[in-house]
Amino acid sequence: MANPTTVARGGGSSPSPGHRRRKESGRARASGLPAWSIPYVLLVPGLLVIAGLLLYPMFQLAVMAFQKVGLAQIRGTRPAEWVGLENFEKILSNDIFWSALRNTVAFAFVAVSLTLIVGTAVGVLLHRLGRKMSLFVVIGCMFAWAVPPVAQGVIWRSLFDAEAGIVNWALDLLPNWLAAPPDGARSWVGTPWLTDTLPLYIALVFCVVWAGFPFIAVSVLAGLKGIPAELYEAARVDGSGPWRTFTKITLPMLKPVFAVLTVLSIIWDFKVFSQLYTLMNGHTNREGYNLSMYAVAEAFKPPQKLGMGAAISVVLTIILLVITVVYVRQIVKQEEM
Amino acid sequence: MRIAKITATTVTTAALALGLAACGSGEAPSSSPSAAASASGPKFAGKTLSVWRLGDSNPAAAKYMEELNAEFKQQTGAEVKLEWIPWPQVADKFAAAATGSGPDVTEIGNDQVPMWQSQDALTPITDIAREGDRAQIPENLYGYETVDGEIYAVPWGAGARAVLYRKDWFEDLKIEVPKTWDELVAAAKKIQKEKGEGVDGFAFNGGSDANHLLAAFAWSEGGEFAVKEGDKWVGKLTEPGFTKGFETYTGLVTSGLSGKANLTLNTVDIRKRFANNKVAMYLTAGWDLPGIEEDSKGKLKSDKLAFFPLPAKTGGVAPSFFGGNDIALWGGTKEADLGKEYIKLATSKTWADRYASEGGLLPVYPDTLAKLEEDPAQGAFAQAFAKARAFPADPNWSEADATKMVLQNAARAVIEGKKDAGTALADANKELEEILNQ
Repeated sequence: MANPTTVARGGGSSPSPGHRRRKESGRARASGLPAWSIPYVLLVPGLLVIAGLLLYPMFQLAVMAFQKVGLAQIRGTRPAEWVGLENFEKILSNDIFWSALRNTVAFAFVAVSLTLIVGTAVGVLLHRLGRKMSLFVVIGCMFAWAVPPVAQGVIWRSLFDAEAGIVNWALDLLPNWLAAPPDGARSWVGTPWLTDTLPLYIALVFCVVWAGFPFIAVSVLAGLKGIPAELYEAARVDGSGPWRTFTKITLPMLKPVFAVLTVLSIIWDFKVFSQLYTLMNGHTNREGYNLSMYAVAEAFKPPQKLGMGAAISVVLTIILLVITVVYVRQIVKQEEM
Repeated sequence: MRIAKITATTVTTAALALGLAACGSGEAPSSSPSAAASASGPKFAGKTLSVWRLGDSNPAAAKYMEELNAEFKQQTGAEVKLEWIPWPQVADKFAAAATGSGPDVTEIGNDQVPMWQSQDALTPITDIAREGDRAQIPENLYGYETVDGEIYAVPWGAGARAVLYRKDWFEDLKIEVPKTWDELVAAAKKIQKEKGEGVDGFAFNGGSDANHLLAAFAWSEGGEFAVKEGDKWVGKLTEPGFTKGFETYTGLVTSGLSGKANLTLNTVDIRKRFANNKVAMYLTAGWDLPGIEEDSKGKLKSDKLAFFPLPAKTGGVAPSFFGGNDIALWGGTKEADLGKEYIKLATSKTWADRYASEGGLLPVYPDTLAKLEEDPAQGAFAQAFAKARAFPADPNWSEADATKMVLQNAARAVIEGKKDAGTALADANKELEEILNQ
């Protein structure tokens, strides 16, 4: 926000007054606004859209979290009752919340790590491959990424099906010392994957990592293209091996890319809903809930308790904000050092 | 040139269509003054009533609705806009309708009435609910429908459940129709042995409507879900009768009659497996038959299927859940009078009896029901209906039953070995009381 008037006045080699006046009047004619306001004015349309589509609903959500809201309150036939912290107290004293929180955090940790590792590996591979092969692999990956979440769930649900699923069939083909059927059963066929919490989340990790790594891979590829080839040449001349080159050159150079990708992945994987809902066939299995699933079940399944659902979403948002802020601060600090 | 031609054709067609439409709508008003003179004239000519039916439309049901709506148009002059809502979507559609625009008249599951009433989603119809033919409907069928002295729905058809089985498999393997629980278990095991391990002898239901199955076992042992003492619900899940029934229920999976992989399936999911030759027996009602024929691409028709009443472990026929469908006037309707006319017609003896017999339900009129006891196809249901019982009639029951799925989760904890039956039921009892008394 440099004030042109001050700059002009303070400058020793100031242009003639006439020149200055002409410049100012010219600017006033063009916009009719003081110069300092122009960036803000330009932001207004975007802010309005964000306010309408994001800030207002978020404000509503925060208000609802402290109210008892059912269908009658939405329709307006009964006033919403202000209940203070009651929604939060109910949630925090409920076992489902704690198992959902555990599932959410553990899943996000595993899924984010795996997505980043697999994505980076594929990104490096793409960088090494020839033009045609690279294009072929990118297109293949993009197909996985382009599949809508519910369809991802349906695909993996059929793959993990107990009787007709390809996963159990493949496990049966493996020799027994590698993958013995559980509990002394004769074969893997009939082993349920999608009812108990741990196998369910293993399936979910496969599903989410499969659909999530292509974005990481392509972003890493873009980052790699930006690293000057001289660095690698110098490393080779100095006798550095592939692993050493990767850890000493590629990783540090890609740090900003990874920072963004990690934050994005954390946010995405905390909020996974459609895939889980499809994989576990509705909301029957309460132990398998994550926080999004719990919020939806409370808010939208009869009797609708939208206040409770809003409170769970607020808790989820706060957790995400804390994690993101801590992570971003750490990155900023490291860069300052 | 060509564009001009197309435009001309389009305009002509549109004009013709408009003209015809004008004729169509012009006809009704022109006839209405003369009709208004006669008492039974189409008072509501030109109006449209929106009606929701639940489930998938099948040819028999579609034909019934067509004839009912034609009769309605003849009597009142009003058109009916009919919409079919598949069962799994009912709760979501009702929720959306309760906040925005909904139907005028809707079919509704009888045990759902208290819950939607508590959400202000239904209009009381006390004035028409017991008059005319409906005076013959037994008083006890209005249990769920009556809240604080007002009646919110009229019973349309009653539903009792019986065991649907593969008659062709039973004949192949020379199995007699089971009369006792032990015979049923033996039959299921034999079928599993012959038809392969992926087949469920008697399917376990652990989904949204699981309590129908669990209740049959628990009630037959003398158990109860909860009892209202004073103005508070007291859970009865830990009492010996309920515990025994619960053990029979979880035993379906632990003894291998039903696969471990299918713990969250509801009746609709089981029906699909049944249609794909993966289930030999399950507890359901006649309304599943059209869906099975469709899912099996016409291979499983009524000649290969039959029902028998679920035998109780303690002997005799197990009590069945007193289910059924009602017809109700929606809360946000602007056509209350017209809607009431529709409900009156649909629940008149002729149309209610046809609704039941053509839809696979039991009639709510007692003399028609009495005739069914000897009927080979409907006898199993009529016998079960004689022993029908209901779930706790409370608006919060739906939450325990289908949203929080308290007992389904207790059963899963036992089946997966995380809790013993005593602990699981004690926890469930506490939660059930909390939900019912909130």
